[in-house]
Amino acid sequence: MIKLENVEKVYRTSVIETLALNNINIHVKKGEFVSIMGPSGCGKSTLLNIMGLLDTPSKGNIEIDGSKVEKYTDKSLAHLRNQKLGFIFQSFHLINDLSVIDNVEIPLLYRNSSSRERRELAQEALEKVGLSNRMKHFPKQLSGGQKQRVAIARAIVGKPEIILADEPTGNLDSAMGNEILSILQNLNEGGATIVMVTHDDAMAKRTHRLIRLFDGTQVL
Amino acid sequence: MLQHLFKLIWNKKGTHSLLIIEIFASFLVLFGVLSLIVFNARNYLQPIGFEYAQVWNIDLASNQDTVDVSRKLANVMQRIRSYKEVETATRMSSNTPFSANQVSGSMTYNKVTVGADFYYTDPDFNKTLDLPLLKGRWYREGDRVAKFIPIVINKKLEDKLFLNETSLNKVIKIDDKSSYKVVGVIDKFKAKGEFMSDNPGLFEMLAKDDTWNSNVLIKTKGGTDANFEAKLVKDIAMMLPGWGIEVSYLKESRLNRHNLTLVPVIIFLIISAFLLTNVALGLFGILNLNISRRKNEIGLRRAMGATEGKVAIQFLGEIWVIATFSLIIGLLFAVQFPLMNVFDLDSEIYITSIFASIAVIYIIVTLCAWLPSKQASRIHPAVALHEE
Repeated sequence: MIKLENVEKVYRTSVIETLALNNINIHVKKGEFVSIMGPSGCGKSTLLNIMGLLDTPSKGNIEIDGSKVEKYTDKSLAHLRNQKLGFIFQSFHLINDLSVIDNVEIPLLYRNSSSRERRELAQEALEKVGLSNRMKHFPKQLSGGQKQRVAIARAIVGKPEIILADEPTGNLDSAMGNEILSILQNLNEGGATIVMVTHDDAMAKRTHRLIRLFDGTQVL
Repeated sequence: MLQHLFKLIWNKKGTHSLLIIEIFASFLVLFGVLSLIVFNARNYLQPIGFEYAQVWNIDLASNQDTVDVSRKLANVMQRIRSYKEVETATRMSSNTPFSANQVSGSMTYNKVTVGADFYYTDPDFNKTLDLPLLKGRWYREGDRVAKFIPIVINKKLEDKLFLNETSLNKVIKIDDKSSYKVVGVIDKFKAKGEFMSDNPGLFEMLAKDDTWNSNVLIKTKGGTDANFEAKLVKDIAMMLPGWGIEVSYLKESRLNRHNLTLVPVIIFLIISAFLLTNVALGLFGILNLNISRRKNEIGLRRAMGATEGKVAIQFLGEIWVIATFSLIIGLLFAVQFPLMNVFDLDSEIYITSIFASIAVIYIIVTLCAWLPSKQASRIHPAVALHEE
């Protein structure tokens, strides 16, 4: 489902060159739930951004669901992100001026969906994460766990095959974190391929496979 | 997407309220200025209706002289007409072309009452100002013995007062003793110059013993210079001792009149430009601030499938929505002008100004929002998502 071959990422400034990722080879199969671990600054988020087509590697190839994306234009990449990928972030990234349901609808705005269709899909996604009673609320009226559930609903509303989660439990207490992980496990059981960056060993153990990074190099 | 933008701006209306008010105020000022410009431009495009290039205006003031004034004026007219430099001369009321004076009145025919500018002249008026007649004739000396007072009206008055009827030979009652009779119709007489609107106008023959109306218009022959003016003033001063004599050229009076019209337009234009510049700078600042505050959102939207173009369109769209809110409020006020026929202006003037103001506002907000929106679209999504 996601294939990275000899991926390297170098950040260059006029005075310094930093090797963020070095010779990464990962193959995430359809339906897998993979976690990425490593110390801060080891390149986990960079790797996830590259998998999510939000960043480009300095070297190497990426394949998403059989499509090689090196020569994709901005428009094609945006289309692929919209259709195939769902993102969950540590700090939720909800838009405070929009209600819960309007936040969830955002990915569908970049498709040719009618407003009715958008509303129905968003309601369905919110029901899946148990927040159908909070649709009209605004993010500021929600707890951290609820916000992350809204973010999950937004990630799954377009029914993507791949979900990329960047420390989704990082800002939550353990009870909330477990709850979020259970939702992700349910989604995985439903067929979604999930790649999750985490610092938490216990969370990582609940996934199918663990990838460890150290100083930009894949060690496991 | 449009619905989404409206929702986003509506939910942030408090934050944008000052900007909305500023655009609304700018729209109203712009609407006012453009109405003034459209009104004047439309008037300017219509012919003035008479020739003024070689015409001088002599303003005679009798001051304390009350003795035999009508005879003295008749002698002066005879003298003026005798000069070889003078083609024609005419006596008229003080509301001479391009002057600030106005004589207004109203008349009623078949229960239709129309206000009009009244001009009192002698029979040589149309020759002096080359006023072409559309119908009928100008009044002449022989009309003095007629039962009714002869008048010439302009087309505008004919249309307003007689609606679909022809006006020639129609009798309009003034009071129990006297009535007007229309003997001729001219096209236009825009006495205040090109910027004046084509108001209803009426020309009435001066009474033979009139002492009140003592302005003289003379049409000089080509090449007549200031030497003749000096001679003329000297001669008249000898004939009318103690009287005030002031000569002005209609060509110069016209320019003064234009300035009187254009100065307020220019002042309003400057105010309007100042307000629009304020709006432009405000928009530019707010958008730049917005972008730096909303980097996370930009990153999020890019992650969710927005292209660079769609991010730029979103920021442009937001500013269009803000402008639309302001314009909707502005329109509620502006449409009252044509609906309530304010200042008795043609509704086309207001409608043209409304559309032009809307276009100007949208152009300005688009120009101001373009660069910040393009900048927003170029923010790298991975960087944007990790900025706090």
